[in-house]
Amino acid sequence: MHKRFRLSAIIVILLALAALTGCVQPYTYHGTELVSDKPAPDFTLTGADGQQVSLSDLRDKVVVLYFGYTFCPDVCPTTLTDMKQVMKLLGKKADDVQFIMVSVDPERDTPEKLNEYVTYFDPRFIGLTGTPEEVVAAATPFGVIFEKHEGTAATGYLVDHTATLSVIDKDGRMRLLFPFDADPKDIADDLQHLIK
Amino acid sequence: MKRVSFVSLLMIAAVLVGVLAACAAPPAASGPQIKVDGVWGRPSPMMTNAGAFYMMISNSGTEADKLVSGQSPSCGTVELHESFKSDDGMMGMRPVTGGFIEIPAGGQAELKVGGLHVMCIDKKDDFKAGAKLPLTLNFEKSGAKTVDVEIRENP
Repeated sequence: MHKRFRLSAIIVILLALAALTGCVQPYTYHGTELVSDKPAPDFTLTGADGQQVSLSDLRDKVVVLYFGYTFCPDVCPTTLTDMKQVMKLLGKKADDVQFIMVSVDPERDTPEKLNEYVTYFDPRFIGLTGTPEEVVAAATPFGVIFEKHEGTAATGYLVDHTATLSVIDKDGRMRLLFPFDADPKDIADDLQHLIK
Repeated sequence: MKRVSFVSLLMIAAVLVGVLAACAAPPAASGPQIKVDGVWGRPSPMMTNAGAFYMMISNSGTEADKLVSGQSPSCGTVELHESFKSDDGMMGMRPVTGGFIEIPAGGQAELKVGGLHVMCIDKKDDFKAGAKLPLTLNFEKSGAKTVDVEIRENP
């Protein structure tokens, strides 16, 4: 009886160890992983009330960086609604995430307009803009390109732009890329992993 | 038991023929048969000038039709647009090629996020969740159809 108990105990311990090994398996990100030991190139752009914001100011947050414009009626509101959903899914941990939308249409998107737009989706979102040259300089290192295109009389010009989300960790390193229309649940899972 | 009369037999036969006729396939509707379902758009702040409307347009008829234009008291202008991804990974948006969206006979056209959509420019109303905005769609053959656009966050 006593022996049998010892055997059961050993089996239970072995099972527990096996379960633990399962836990320490490396996390697989849903987004595309980028490996770099250097911080992402810094930029300084203009936020609400003319306040200057640098990427390096946000080292205590996981930054999700997006380039879009307020006139964009399909792709941009979809992304911002998805990010609103991501923040909801993260709950309290969302305080460790900073979503930034940089305008690829600095001529029409004033800091005030941009701020009104992004905070409509979530009051914690930041909108940044600058001179066209400043925006190009900020976008290029993230592989983001944009280009004005003729629209109709009603739309005015349109802006084609890379619609990926770049994720920068708390150490300022670029870590992940998400394509347009990535599942908010996948984004939230990955961010949760980067937060801790 | 009373024998069934010839007249009764004739009457039963006539009824049966009638039933059979009803069973036969109805004559195929000629021309397009357009149905518009699930029309929705996302909430957006009043300061944004434009919004996109999405829907499923199906055609159960024998002839193709084209959505050519639209109008709404909630929009200054209504245009038909398509989002696309270019070879270098940029997302863009253009008015649809040829200025129309074709709905093939027995087929459908899906207007969805990141693809075809009805673009409402110069918004006149607040696109807030729960709102229902009237939209008239003009089809080349089927004429005008007015639908409600439901404003909600997700598809």
